[in-house]
Formats: sequence, C-alpha cells, structure tokens
Amino acid sequence: MSASVILASECPPDDPGFCAPSVLEFFPKPLATFDLFGAHFAITRITVILWIATAVMVWFFIAATRNMQLIPGRRQYFAESGYSLVRDGVAREVIGTEGLRFAPYLASLFFFILINNIMGIIPFAQIPPTGRFAFPVVLAAISYILFNWVGIRQQGLGPYFKNNLFPAGVPKLLYVLITPIEFASTFIFRPFTLAVRLFANMLAGHLLLAIFAAGTVYLFTVGNFSVIFGPVSFAMTVIMTFFELLVQVLQAYVFVVLTSTYIAGAMEEAH
Amino acid sequence: MTDGRQPSGLSGANEGWAVVGTLFAGVVVWGGIGWLIDLWLDTTFVKAIGVLVGLATAIYLVIVKYGNTG
Repeated sequence: MSASVILASECPPDDPGFCAPSVLEFFPKPLATFDLFGAHFAITRITVILWIATAVMVWFFIAATRNMQLIPGRRQYFAESGYSLVRDGVAREVIGTEGLRFAPYLASLFFFILINNIMGIIPFAQIPPTGRFAFPVVLAAISYILFNWVGIRQQGLGPYFKNNLFPAGVPKLLYVLITPIEFASTFIFRPFTLAVRLFANMLAGHLLLAIFAAGTVYLFTVGNFSVIFGPVSFAMTVIMTFFELLVQVLQAYVFVVLTSTYIAGAMEEAH
Repeated sequence: MTDGRQPSGLSGANEGWAVVGTLFAGVVVWGGIGWLIDLWLDTTFVKAIGVLVGLATAIYLVIVKYGNTG
C-alpha cells in the first residue's frame, strides 16, 4: 500500500514512487457547484471548513457576551481578554484613542484570520482557507478601502493625496522621481503585500506539513531501508506543527497591526 | 513623525519594514518604467538605468522620511 492512496486526487494510482503534495491541495474536488449571475461557484471542503471555523468563532463570542457578569466566568474572561488584546494592545497602542472606533473591525479581522489560519493544524480539517488567495485578497481590499477612506475623510481628498504623494522636505524638482515611488508604495504595494504575506505563509506552511506527513507514511510503508528515516520525518511533522501554530497566530497579528499602522498613518497627517 | 505608538516588542520594526518597502518600491517602479521605455524605444539598457535611478531615489526618500533629522 503506497502513499498515493492518501493523495488519491493528485497521484497516478500505480506509481510506486513518492507522490509529493502540491498546490493542488488547495483545489480539492467540489462538493457542489452552481452558477449565480454568470459567476461560477464551487463549494469544496475548504469552503465548508471556512464556514464551520467562522461559525465557531462567532458562536464563541456570542455565547461569551450573552449573560455578562461583573465578575466574569471563564468564557467571558477569555472573550474579554481576546478582545482587549486587539482593542488595547493594537488599536489604542498604534492609533491612539481615536483608534477605539476601529477596534470592532480589527478584532473581527484578527479572530477571523486566526481561526481560519489555525484550521491548518486542526485534525480532519488540516488546511487553512486563508491559503486560498482570494480570502487574503478580500481582507486586504477591505483594509485598503478602509484606510484610504479614513484618510480622505479626515484630511480631505486633495490634502490626503498631497501628503501621501509629496513628502515634505524634498526639493520640488525631485518630486518627478519620488512621486511614482510614493504612489506605488502606498497605493499598490501596501494592499498587495498585505494579501500576499498572509497567503504565502499559509500556503507554504500547509505544504510543509503535508510533505512531512505524507513523507512519514511513505517512508514507513515503502518497505526498504528508508524506514529508518520515518521517525525523522515524523519528528519534523510534530515540530513543524508547533512552528506552524506560531506562524498562524503571528500572521493574524501582523495583518491587524499593519492595518492599524496604515489607518494611523492615514489619520495623523492632519496635524 | 509620531513613532512612539507601537505595541511593545515591535519598536522600530514598522519603520524598518517601511524602509525596506520603500527601497523595493523604488527599484520596482523605476525599473518598470525603464523597462517600458525599453519596449517603446527598442533599447536594452534603459532598464538598468531605471533600476539605478529608482534605487538612488529610494535611498534619498528613505533619508528624507526616516532619517535622524525627522
């Protein structure tokens, strides 16, 4: 019995060699497809994982805030600590008191990304939906629209672009060179790197875990001396799972901190 | 520049990444413009000039925005 049985959707069935997981992991067979207004939708197991994870997170916060006591019970305590982590630790720290009105969005963003990232190491799910590029793209787009909207509303359309594209302290002639760089750096690279950073970390982490796990099975079952490397592969799977947990939490945090930084930057030019 | 507002443990890291991003943006933007000019004028060397101009401009921009007189 070869490892190809496990990765049946990607591997030729009679291939005796090791069939490595590839990005096709993120394109599983659809469970249901439908067309709506000309757009083609496919519901896969990744979609279902996203729904379940988000539902769990939403349920947790609703349940924790249902009967709030002055002296919190355990669930309320965890929810409050979690929310405070984003509200005080990020929104207030990075943006200031003005930032408190973004705390709901930032907290939702953080916990949504966190729970979906963590699906990468939860048994039976074991794939982060945030590793499908569309999800980080949409999240980055929302943050992008938000910080630009905040900046334009705070400073006015003209002054916002002027402050962003024409930094102070530069001789006027050099603006020809500098303005394209500033424009690209604020309006193109920021959303792009926000999305790609999250996506690439989740994709790479998932493939890493998949390769070590599939490798462990292959090394143990292939039947020759390779079996002595099986425990090495297994140990790496365990170690990388813990490392992956760190990366998942960190990437959620970084996404939210950067969004806050961009909002703070958009708001501060006013003074 | 109000850079005292950061979650503890990230001191300066935001600025560091902003510097890296600016340098990268400078090279890519002006390298890209140079590449487009190459396509337009059918030359081969304008790309390199664009990259150097972009890098120099980006370094200047980093000094202006994040330098120690700020």
